[in-house]
Amino acid sequence: MKRITVLQGQICVSGDTNVEFGTVLGSCVSSCLFDSVAQIGGMNHFLLAEPPANHTPGQVDVHYGVYLMELLINEMLSRGAIKQRIRAHLYGGANLRAGMAPIGTANAAFARTFLDREHIPLLREDLGGTCARRVDFRPATGQVRCRTVESTLAPDLKPASRTDRRSGDVELF
Amino acid sequence: MNKTTRILTVDDSASMRALLLHALTSSGFEVAQADDGVAALEWLALNEVDVVITDINMPRLDGFGLIERLRAGDRHQDRPILVLTTESSDEKKQRARNAGATGWIVKPFDPEKLATAVRRVTH
Repeated sequence: MKRITVLQGQICVSGDTNVEFGTVLGSCVSSCLFDSVAQIGGMNHFLLAEPPANHTPGQVDVHYGVYLMELLINEMLSRGAIKQRIRAHLYGGANLRAGMAPIGTANAAFARTFLDREHIPLLREDLGGTCARRVDFRPATGQVRCRTVESTLAPDLKPASRTDRRSGDVELF
Repeated sequence: MNKTTRILTVDDSASMRALLLHALTSSGFEVAQADDGVAALEWLALNEVDVVITDINMPRLDGFGLIERLRAGDRHQDRPILVLTTESSDEKKQRARNAGATGWIVKPFDPEKLATAVRRVTH
């Protein structure tokens, strides 16, 4: 079995039955999507930034999340998946430290809302709480194993936002 | 007073359509939305628009096909068409350019840059 670690901000897609994706999540959320007919699956791993102070507290900047979800879905479609057949699992979104902004909760809410809007059925979720998780996902079969792990194993938070990326640049022809 | 710029956005993602609707209406534009190239053509057959902003990867008719169909007719030969996509390859960008696209924007989009681009192609 070839194991591939999916880091924050990454997406990975495969139809290889000998591939397993893995990641460790604290406040981050990982979406595991798969099409069981095409035997194609993919995983992403994201943490959305909190928006500027003039926005409602607890909200997240969803631009980057929508982008990472779309990137994952498009990569699956390009390898033969059909959007109507895609099913989802969601993991992560914990709030590891008491007293801090519930960024994990906001990220989990974003992921659920995204799937609902795109009409992608959510088969299983293990979201929220105060513990870090390790997720192992076999993309070709959709099999997932999710375990709680020591919070010290969760990666440092690196909230992503479009403001610190050179995103949205416009090229006129 | 200037006429409000009317934009048609074409994207199969409901989440992306919601982001675009909020960003563009907040910038003072009038926005209509279609969820793929076929729906866009049907809407454009009955309505007038100043700018089209289209995704590439869509079911039924993708962004390349939509641009080609619009440029093949008389009504939309000079219509500004901006491509807004997760695609970052030069090959896809060149294909959009050859099909007749006016500009190329890579997601995740920045609302202010997008509004500036719309104003540039409509003035």
